[in-house]
Amino acid sequence: MTQTIRVEQLLRETVQSPYCDLVTRPTGRAVRSSIQQRLTTAQAALTLLDFSEVGLVDFSCADEVIAKLLLEPVSDTAIVLQGLREEQLEAIEHVLEHHDLAALVRDPERGAARIVGRVSPDLRTAFFTLQQHGPATAESLARLTGWAVDQAEGVLATLVRFRLVLRGAAGFMVPLASEPLSP
Amino acid sequence: MSRVIEIPPAFDDRSFEQFAASFSAGPITDRTVFDARPAQWASPYGLVAMLTAGQAIKEAGGPRPDFTVPAAEDVRRYWARTGFFAHAAQLFELHGRVPKLKPDDHSDVLLDVTPVRASEDVHAVVGKIQAGAARILTHELGIDAKATMGFAMALSEACQNIVEHAGTGGWVAVHAYTFRKRLGRRVVVIAVSDGGVGFRRSLEATQARRFGDRWGDGAALEAAVIQNVSRFRDPGRGQGIAGIKRYLGRWSGKLSIRSGTARIAIVPEWDDEPPMTEHLAPFPGAQLQIVIPAQEPSGG
Repeated sequence: MTQTIRVEQLLRETVQSPYCDLVTRPTGRAVRSSIQQRLTTAQAALTLLDFSEVGLVDFSCADEVIAKLLLEPVSDTAIVLQGLREEQLEAIEHVLEHHDLAALVRDPERGAARIVGRVSPDLRTAFFTLQQHGPATAESLARLTGWAVDQAEGVLATLVRFRLVLRGAAGFMVPLASEPLSP
Repeated sequence: MSRVIEIPPAFDDRSFEQFAASFSAGPITDRTVFDARPAQWASPYGLVAMLTAGQAIKEAGGPRPDFTVPAAEDVRRYWARTGFFAHAAQLFELHGRVPKLKPDDHSDVLLDVTPVRASEDVHAVVGKIQAGAARILTHELGIDAKATMGFAMALSEACQNIVEHAGTGGWVAVHAYTFRKRLGRRVVVIAVSDGGVGFRRSLEATQARRFGDRWGDGAALEAAVIQNVSRFRDPGRGQGIAGIKRYLGRWSGKLSIRSGTARIAIVPEWDDEPPMTEHLAPFPGAQLQIVIPAQEPSGG
């Protein structure tokens, strides 16, 4: 199940303000708390955090909303940020890098998820491989990348822990993955 | 008899030192008169600094200071348009004719003098600034329209320093004007000032031991501005000033912060201020200034 949370709507419900800017730490804390409540209630496999109607996102608020959401997970849901403008994404990337974190962002043109923030080259390689080839087990990922199976297992476990990939019946998969590019 | 605190004729971040010296020349609880009669001009930094001084006297329980308004009619009108007198009337006994003008949204005053006490005030400031900032940054300063968001972000983070660290309220103002002497170009200036605890007291509990004998206003500013240290142990803290520096680096902007007896500056190539100045006259709280210059047309 996929849940979509409109951040601007939460912001308006949480903070009595005529503006739709995600600024200040108290605002960030309040919005994060509302998001966490929804994550806990819905227990969705995938949550889309939609920033489409949000104005400014400052560093402090990005830290409170995004970084702390990733640092203090309340469920196993994978989170994908969507509807972000370039400047909003820049603030979010800044805080992700500060914390050595990574998040998934939906590419507006392709519709697919991509990683932003700080991840090791191995995690990035595994993510791209899953995105290109579709769901895979540790063994098939090892085959595709030329890694040892235990290396592939370790990398996939880390991606799952960071909730950058989902574990399904068919294996590990990237959220919002389109059809595999190769058979 | 009242002690006279002189308002410099051209009151900006540099002549502020004359003002601070005059302000600190006697006890804060002295009966004082702020003499602005010779004033010809004041930057947003000067305007919020005067209010901060009045606020500090009020919070220290000093007698309500007198304030003689500028003799020049155009200066009085400009200060009225910035909203200065409306706030000054709550802190000072004003003497002289004060024009009754509303802040002018279409002038070079991007944000009239605005009090900042709580998170809601930062929301209002950021919401209010964006349309005007886009107009000035794009059309007058030649800065990419996308940079407006970064500008509002820098403003937001600067104001939040008051809410998070000052322990009292403060003031913000944003104006556009031509920096004739130092730069010869248009600039947008954000000035934020509070009469709170200042950087040294804010960081003392967590940083003083690390600096040892060096601890003081200068070391506290160095910790906050250069090392991005915050008084909070939360590892996510300290990103506000880091974010401001990043934005300013992109647009050759300048950041200076004065607190207590020291001033630190992130100095672009067009300015010659020393990166750190210590042993200044003491002044309450913290004063922050951000200057973003018009971009030079690219050659070719």
